[in-house]
Amino acid sequence: MKRIGLVFNGVWSQYAVATAPKYRELYDLVYIHELTAARIATLDALVIPFQSNQPALEARKDVLYGFLAQGKKIAVFGDSTPLWLDAQWEDRPVNNYWWVKTPDQPPIAHTDATHPVYAGLQPRHACWHIHGVYTRIPDNSRVIQRNAEQEVVTWETECYGGTLFASTLDPMVEHGIQQIRHLDRYVDRLTTWLCGETPSGAFTIDPASYGVRAIPGVATGAPAGVGVN
Amino acid sequence: MLHATVISNGLSGLPRAYTSDDRIRYRLEAIVPAWAPDFSDDDLVIAPNGTDHVALLAIRERMRAFLDDGGALACFCGWFTDWVPGNRWVHDNSHPTREVELRLASDRHGLFAGVDLGKFNVDRHGIRGWWACGYIEPAPGAEVVLVDTWGRAIVVVDEVTTGGFQLLTASGPLGDYRRVGDTDDGIGRVYRNLISHLTHRTLVTT
Repeated sequence: MKRIGLVFNGVWSQYAVATAPKYRELYDLVYIHELTAARIATLDALVIPFQSNQPALEARKDVLYGFLAQGKKIAVFGDSTPLWLDAQWEDRPVNNYWWVKTPDQPPIAHTDATHPVYAGLQPRHACWHIHGVYTRIPDNSRVIQRNAEQEVVTWETECYGGTLFASTLDPMVEHGIQQIRHLDRYVDRLTTWLCGETPSGAFTIDPASYGVRAIPGVATGAPAGVGVN
Repeated sequence: MLHATVISNGLSGLPRAYTSDDRIRYRLEAIVPAWAPDFSDDDLVIAPNGTDHVALLAIRERMRAFLDDGGALACFCGWFTDWVPGNRWVHDNSHPTREVELRLASDRHGLFAGVDLGKFNVDRHGIRGWWACGYIEPAPGAEVVLVDTWGRAIVVVDEVTTGGFQLLTASGPLGDYRRVGDTDDGIGRVYRNLISHLTHRTLVTT
């Protein structure tokens, strides 16, 4: 049974994770233009990945906070806007080559390894690259990761009922791309934390999931008013 | 003046790679509920890296009509849905990027003129692979421009499937990246060569 909704902006790397045999029994693609309270009612958690549609998230802000108010979890990755998330994200140059040029200076300098997502992860597996930082986070939030300048990379709060986790890492998109080969470790721990089940095996691709004219769970390429013409 | 539409699914930073100048005028076409884009004033439609292939599937007939009318499509993103006429993108993770060596197979339109292929293979930070993922199964008769180590299509130009022009990459991003530090003989040069070709093509056909 699918337990986690992956808020889906039609991006292929997001699709690749949710349709990979390793993850497809747990992750449900929830197309952003179909995101309603009824659509996500049976899910335990939501993941809002990097490369999400920020204006569309703002339009569905009430649905997201209603989900949290039920005591459920939402994990947000990459950038965001204060129009739907009460925090200030700021862009920074993406250093995705540090492991070539300065392997002793990763983009994250401090990680709270007591958090379940990070417990047991090697530093390399807890940090590949980041997309910006947070310069303001909600009161009573817990900071989980910082960069060398002490800027916030990952934080968490329970002030909305459930648990809101936010990070400028991009595990789902990069795992789908498959150019960073160690992300099973992070995504598997994240999955376990979100729903209590741990995926097993290697990340593989099912060719039958590509070149499709209809996407399971999405209304035949014509979601919520995005009509087939 | 070329008129281009950039499909936008709400990603931040998109306008930085597609800024209007004296050669090309861009407009952003935002995907919204009841999306029904009108491409009738456009010479070129760009599906940038990270675009929404669910919404594009929903308008596949509209896109086909635009192409059959002589329009140009540039898709720089892996189209896992079947909206690109005649060609298919295949996601493949069987080879690590350190094994990727891209080479030119054909270039009828000079898209790689003045381009240092070494900068496609290893970027200025020492990263290999141009972020291309998987490969393209090209339409019969389409021009395979760039291939990878295993001879698989990475850049395709298709002028036979429709009445228009398609430039497709295996998800390798293209744009005018000079504003973010690109040199004049790398990825951005291919994009500018593409715009030059399409400008000439538009002048000839109108």
